[in-house]
Amino acid sequence: MSIIDVRNVVKSFSIGQRSFTAIDNITFSVDAGKFATVVGPSGCGKSTLLMMIGGLAKPTSGEVKVNGEILTRPRPDLIGMVFQDATLLPWKTALGNVEFPLQLGGVNVQKRRSRAQELLTLVGLNTFAGHFPHELSGGMRQRVGIARGLAHDPTILLMDEPFSALDEQNRTKMGQELLRIWDVTRKTVLFITHSLMEAVYLSDVIFVMSASPGRIIETIEVDIPRPRPIDVIDTVAFGRIRNRIWHLISGVEA
Amino acid sequence: MRIILIAQLAFLVILAAFWEGLVLLGVDQSLLPPIAKVVSLLRHLLSDPEFLSDLGVTAIEVGVAFAVSVPIAIGTGLLVGESARLAEAVNPLIYLVMAIPQSVFLPIFILVFGIGFVEKVVFGITHAYFVIVINTFAAVRSVPAPYVLAARSFGATPAQIYYRIYLPAMLPLVLTGLRLGMIFCIIGVLLTEMYASRFGIGHRLFGWGEAYQVPQLIAGVIIVSVLTILVNEAMRLLEVHAARRYGALRR
Repeated sequence: MSIIDVRNVVKSFSIGQRSFTAIDNITFSVDAGKFATVVGPSGCGKSTLLMMIGGLAKPTSGEVKVNGEILTRPRPDLIGMVFQDATLLPWKTALGNVEFPLQLGGVNVQKRRSRAQELLTLVGLNTFAGHFPHELSGGMRQRVGIARGLAHDPTILLMDEPFSALDEQNRTKMGQELLRIWDVTRKTVLFITHSLMEAVYLSDVIFVMSASPGRIIETIEVDIPRPRPIDVIDTVAFGRIRNRIWHLISGVEA
Repeated sequence: MRIILIAQLAFLVILAAFWEGLVLLGVDQSLLPPIAKVVSLLRHLLSDPEFLSDLGVTAIEVGVAFAVSVPIAIGTGLLVGESARLAEAVNPLIYLVMAIPQSVFLPIFILVFGIGFVEKVVFGITHAYFVIVINTFAAVRSVPAPYVLAARSFGATPAQIYYRIYLPAMLPLVLTGLRLGMIFCIIGVLLTEMYASRFGIGHRLFGWGEAYQVPQLIAGVIIVSVLTILVNEAMRLLEVHAARRYGALRR
């Protein structure tokens, strides 16, 4: 059963007199509980797509349905978002940042504090609750970002290139960590990245996008069994999917 | 830190020694009185009710001018900072006005407002206003857009975005504006008092200068200097604290 439905979505922007189409007629859906990834070159409109699914932007035409509803505003109870560079508030501690969505929602202090503590434990940062973002490493900041995204216990997690600022090693580690968290929480995840390896390693299904105009050129089911130990990236099956995406994106026939 | 402090103290000592040295060398004492004389005058002035009342008059004028200019200036800064089109129209004007030494307008102010409390306060306001506007404007622009986007995604209302994101993120720069505004405000009020006024510390200083009462003049200058330094430092401490707490030093 699909929980995210994107149908014939077009998004165009106008800058002064000129207008350009960022997203050109995209249709896809994501089934509940799946880990789906949108992969594509930079500037293909991946983030714009995510904003529309998250209720932060309206499509120029077409419709986006989440859980059967057309969203006209953000719905933190339904969708949690995780951003590039974490975007944690520097004046709040890790705990304060995870509490923030609950604070906005009017949840009382005790309740939100214990919930935030619980989430920090889930992401492995329970001993860092009192640390400020600048006292945390890039990977830790993203863990806080994930915990914050989960604050309202949403059904869906939208993640916009969350690990793109991390080095290779931390990126791989965070990928594994994310799969562990996903396994525990069983959210539907829509993940955005331009890293092919990340896409193949994490996903059940991959939507491959082309740039200008942004279109989905292929949908790939990743049939690599879970759990996926890190060595899976050396297997033939993994390499074949990764190469296929690479050829699709670089415009060469596979 | 300690070495710097020692160097600063040493500078003061050298300055005092130079002063006293010139006096001993026989420089005209009506131009440069001995330190001891100035110090005894300092003590006398600080217990002189007339002098204190002049200080009080100036402090009230500065206080009122500052209190009036802060909300107006911050309001303008917010308004201009929020609207790209308004900023395009208003910013060049503000920078042009900032380039003019405001003292040239003083005779006009006096013609309009007469000599007295209102004239001094208004001149203080116009001095403080622009620098606070510019800093508030910069503060609005400094709020990182991703913070706002993230807050929106978590369901923040516009009021919550103002209160929970804009306010704390803007605080360090706004405080810088307020501190500079206070300095400008003091400049404006003192200038008016020296130019045309019957009361106030500026009037008093100017009078001493005209009457060749150099020891009083130096003592008065020292008192005003110390007071303004104290005000500035107090506000700067607040600013540094806010910058530590709310991010400017952390990014």
